[in-house]
Amino acid sequence: MTTVATVSEPARSTSPGALALRRLRRDREALAFGVLLALVVVPLFAAPLYASHVAGTTPQENHLTDELVIDAKRMYVVSLDGVPIGPTWRRAYFVGADENGRDLMVRLLYGGRSSLLMGAGALGLTVLFAVPLALIAGYFRGRTDSVISRLLDLVWSFPALLVGFLLASAINLAGARIGPLTIEPGSKLIPVTVIGLVYVPYIARPLRGQVLALREQRFIEAARACGLGPVRVMASEMLPHLWTTILVLVPLLFSNAVVLESALSFLGAGVQSPEPSFGTLIAAGLNNVVLSPHLLLVPSIALVLLVLSLSGLAEGLRRALNPHGTPAVHLGRGQ
Amino acid sequence: MIAFAARRLGWALVTAFIASIVAFLLFWTIPNVDPSYFLGGAEHGTDATRAQATEKYGLDDPLPVQYVRLMEAIFSGDVECFYGCGSLRSAFLEALPITFWLVGGAALIAIATGVALALVCVRYRGRWQDRVISTVATAAYSVPSLVLAALLWGFLAYKWRLFPEAGYVGLTENPLEWFWHLLLPWVAAALPFAGAYVQVVRASLLAAVDEEWVRTARAKGLPEKKVIRRHVLRNGLIAPANIWGLDFSHAFGGFALYVEVIFGVPGIGLLTSETLGSLDLPPIVGLAIYLALVVVLASAVVDVIVASLDPRIRRPGLPT
Repeated sequence: MTTVATVSEPARSTSPGALALRRLRRDREALAFGVLLALVVVPLFAAPLYASHVAGTTPQENHLTDELVIDAKRMYVVSLDGVPIGPTWRRAYFVGADENGRDLMVRLLYGGRSSLLMGAGALGLTVLFAVPLALIAGYFRGRTDSVISRLLDLVWSFPALLVGFLLASAINLAGARIGPLTIEPGSKLIPVTVIGLVYVPYIARPLRGQVLALREQRFIEAARACGLGPVRVMASEMLPHLWTTILVLVPLLFSNAVVLESALSFLGAGVQSPEPSFGTLIAAGLNNVVLSPHLLLVPSIALVLLVLSLSGLAEGLRRALNPHGTPAVHLGRGQ
Repeated sequence: MIAFAARRLGWALVTAFIASIVAFLLFWTIPNVDPSYFLGGAEHGTDATRAQATEKYGLDDPLPVQYVRLMEAIFSGDVECFYGCGSLRSAFLEALPITFWLVGGAALIAIATGVALALVCVRYRGRWQDRVISTVATAAYSVPSLVLAALLWGFLAYKWRLFPEAGYVGLTENPLEWFWHLLLPWVAAALPFAGAYVQVVRASLLAAVDEEWVRTARAKGLPEKKVIRRHVLRNGLIAPANIWGLDFSHAFGGFALYVEVIFGVPGIGLLTSETLGSLDLPPIVGLAIYLALVVVLASAVVDVIVASLDPRIRRPGLPT
């Protein structure tokens, strides 16, 4: 017996975006990572609130001679022989203080926030460069393509950390002037620019391949036959097809950018020392680990939680947007 | 095959050449580093010493002339440092094998762990073994080497003194000490990679397991071990091998930097970090170029090896 579908109303189609969203909503693992990310990120963005209303200090404020009363016991924030207080689990010095009596939790929140913002800025820059480059290379092919592709290959063949280290060191010495934009030595724009540029090939190369394939499709031919210029074709016909790839790649690279930034800052080529960031906090923690292990443990755990939730969510996004693809876990972390 | 190797090496040298120009321009156009700074005695950098330095180092010459002169110095091995340094080339050649052991050992650990665990995942596909390994792999991938290195060194080596705090012992001098000095750096560098490789290899093997040639191999009665080794692994490891190659070449300018700094391993990472800290431009550019050469040559060699395993890669055109 054959079953005949009775078509009473036109079949409602579901857009790919809605499908992906549905898959994401049903993906418990991705949702768990999303919740974890929210638990990490929301406090980071509330850093100034925490500093002023809970801890009552700033990330740079020293409290070398302050005293605390905990369980009716008077304690120094930094003891007379220079050892800072460990976690108090109270409002002030929740996870302890550093050797200058600065509240570690406040510094961590501020540092994490600037790491996130720098990662976001860097990735914004990457997309800004990578998408037009990929579109131009894939659309025009020929000589344009080979120049752009060779350039991308050149950057891609060197490790992100080394390129970033050299570039950031150079800019840190002299500053840089790019058109109207001036970057001062020691500015946070240095790691943003450097990371943003280093990651361009990681997005541009796969996109270029996709554009090359798209170019041969009928609808592009039709658009061109209608008299649309190259810019219109790229922007309104090709770009919508690239969003999936961009959305899969960007969160992955974002977690890598956070790690790369902390490695650069650790090596002294990113965020400069008194300014808190994961890299500088870990570097400071390493020196003091014998007497105050919390200085190393706290930023390390925070960075791992952030990276774990970011890459877990990124992989969930990948599963939702591209369920049959391979896990795109491995993308130039700069390691 | 030889044509492919030649083409690949040629491209590597072109890449290194372009990189050398970029590195030269990047650092040679920095105005703030003044070679006359230490020539002036107590009153650093007067007009007279600046003129003397410009004269001595030929800093008024056109940039291409300076570029050629610097490259000659770099490759003949006696880079003249502004602030004084030993022979950069011999320092680099001394440090290179140390980094090679570090990177090679870490790569070996990461690849062996990744493939072995991925095989277990494929064997027990969808069962709890698979899920546990995949979850642990994701977790391992999410612990950055930097954090792992900092924690391992900070606690095991520095605080509790279970491992050497810094330094390196040659393999031929004392194999046990050599192993002991490199163990923690290996673990710190390899763990995140192992986590990533489990996932990459697992996906690639799962794709290969469902191929028809594998079914054919089973159908003709090959034992399971042979099916896996000859048919699944051979095809399933090609895509991961490309990733390993890239990671291996990138490692020389990647994790080697901070892992060596943290563990005090006197390899090229530590050398780079010390040289960059010195603000002495000629050795910085020299080191950048040496490193560029190592990276592009390593990646070329790995590409040639991968291509010798998979004939499909040896197509004409520049390798990408």
